[in-house]
Amino acid sequence: MALFEVQGLTRRFLGVVAVDHVDLAVEAGQIVSLIGPNGSGKTTLFNCVTGYLAPDGGRVVFRGRDVTRLAPHRIARLGVGRTFQLVSVFPRLTALENLLTFLQQHQEENIAARLVRTRGVRRHEAQAIDRALALLESVGLSSRADALAGSLSYGQRKLLAFAAALMPDPDLLLLDEPAAAVNPTMINQMKEQIRGLHRQGKTVLLVEHNMDVVMDISERVVVLDHGQKIAEGAPEAIRRDPKVIEAYFGR
Amino acid sequence: MRPVRWTAGLLLLVAAPWIVTELVPNQQRYILHVLIFTALYGALALSYDLVVGHVGSLSLAHPAFFGIGAYGSALLGTEAGWPFALALPAGIALAALAALAVGVPMFRLTEHSFAMGTLGVALVTQIVATNWVDVTRGPLCVTGIPKPQVGALRIVTLPGFYWMALAAVALVALLYHALTTFRLGRAFHAVRDNEALAASAAVDPLKYRMLAFAIAAAVAGGVGALYVSYVGVLCPGELAVSLTVNLLVMIFLGGVGSLRGVLIGAAAFTALPELLRMAPTWRMVIYGLLLLVVVIRAPDGLDALLRRRVAASR
Repeated sequence: MALFEVQGLTRRFLGVVAVDHVDLAVEAGQIVSLIGPNGSGKTTLFNCVTGYLAPDGGRVVFRGRDVTRLAPHRIARLGVGRTFQLVSVFPRLTALENLLTFLQQHQEENIAARLVRTRGVRRHEAQAIDRALALLESVGLSSRADALAGSLSYGQRKLLAFAAALMPDPDLLLLDEPAAAVNPTMINQMKEQIRGLHRQGKTVLLVEHNMDVVMDISERVVVLDHGQKIAEGAPEAIRRDPKVIEAYFGR
Repeated sequence: MRPVRWTAGLLLLVAAPWIVTELVPNQQRYILHVLIFTALYGALALSYDLVVGHVGSLSLAHPAFFGIGAYGSALLGTEAGWPFALALPAGIALAALAALAVGVPMFRLTEHSFAMGTLGVALVTQIVATNWVDVTRGPLCVTGIPKPQVGALRIVTLPGFYWMALAAVALVALLYHALTTFRLGRAFHAVRDNEALAASAAVDPLKYRMLAFAIAAAVAGGVGALYVSYVGVLCPGELAVSLTVNLLVMIFLGGVGSLRGVLIGAAAFTALPELLRMAPTWRMVIYGLLLLVVVIRAPDGLDALLRRRVAASR
């Protein structure tokens, strides 16, 4: 059974069908890319499956459990991480604190224990700091650990957001245009990161416009156009698919 | 060095009644009265900042919770004859319960509508206090509110009330510090900075907003109960929206989200109008002009201004 499954997902905005009966299945350990022209419904689909938008129809199943209409923080707690298309950090927290925030809810939920700072909570905090520093190192931000996230450059914030999504070690990671507006060196680094996740057996679903990245790292590509799935397959096959070429370049 | 300065500051505050008596014997009562108000305002402003500065929700309902705690404890003390040791926690609990009840619908609103909705809560509470004459005595005010008494300890003198208020603000400052630092503070700040991202980090925005809102209301209710036990009279005018304006001035011109900043703001903007009584005609004009000067010279608060001065002098 697929780790993550979308069945007949539909979402309308004032009569415009943004996502139209889309089916999608992602097997555990796969890297799947979601591509399509602007406005084809990729981000809407992302927002529907992570709880940010309520779908008008269809189901979202994660690890055999129906998660349709669960609140975003509940879906996150089940082990689904995501990034946002527009750079998204907590500007008035430091880079390190940004990362720590992503792990603490997974480590314990007891607010009272947090208030009195029990031994267990302090141990969790120490573990979280170790992990956060290692992740900052891996995206080349160790020297900015104590800088306010709002003071980082656009590219650095993008890398920070990516590292933050990795903090709780999610089983499924949804990345919304991770390579957009990132310089070529960093893109290569990010591709390495995603491949690293793949080696650890993680599952990645990615929306991306950069075709080099898509063709290079994905095992399977799903193409959306006007909210509908028009093609699905291996990268080479998609590249030659006449329907895909038509959707991108017109007839 | 720091612990020494802290201890000295604390001793100075505790010894204030004696110092005031030594320095200005004929003004002693008035100055202590202002100090008591400063401390109570400090506690109230800190509680308000939990909501405005730390989870980033511009609630205008704070006078309502202050009023519910004040009326709750005052009426239980006068009509039901409850001792202070029970009336105070009852006032705190009533305010917290009111916040939980009001918070559920209010937090469905975002930003401006949340501010408007909570403003409505404040107005309705004051209207109820004015017009529900059978219970609140309306404009006739609740009078003869008993003085605080816990066991053999009875607070009647001005220094006694001063120490009570000082203990209250110290307790609230400790609570504020514990809530706004470390993991809990991080969750609050995550919700304030970026709600959608906080949810993707598994932080439930509503839960943390409600938590801050309810704790802030509980503290406001407690301050309300202490306030009426000090002044002995409670009128509906105490719940006016102008209280919110005072609190906003204190936290934004002191330093929003900062313990020291809020306390500086509370001290400055309680003492300032009193100092200006020396020029009664021009009092409010000068007050307004001074506010403008602070806004222009220190847009991010007096605390930030002080910190810059200290950094520059090094």
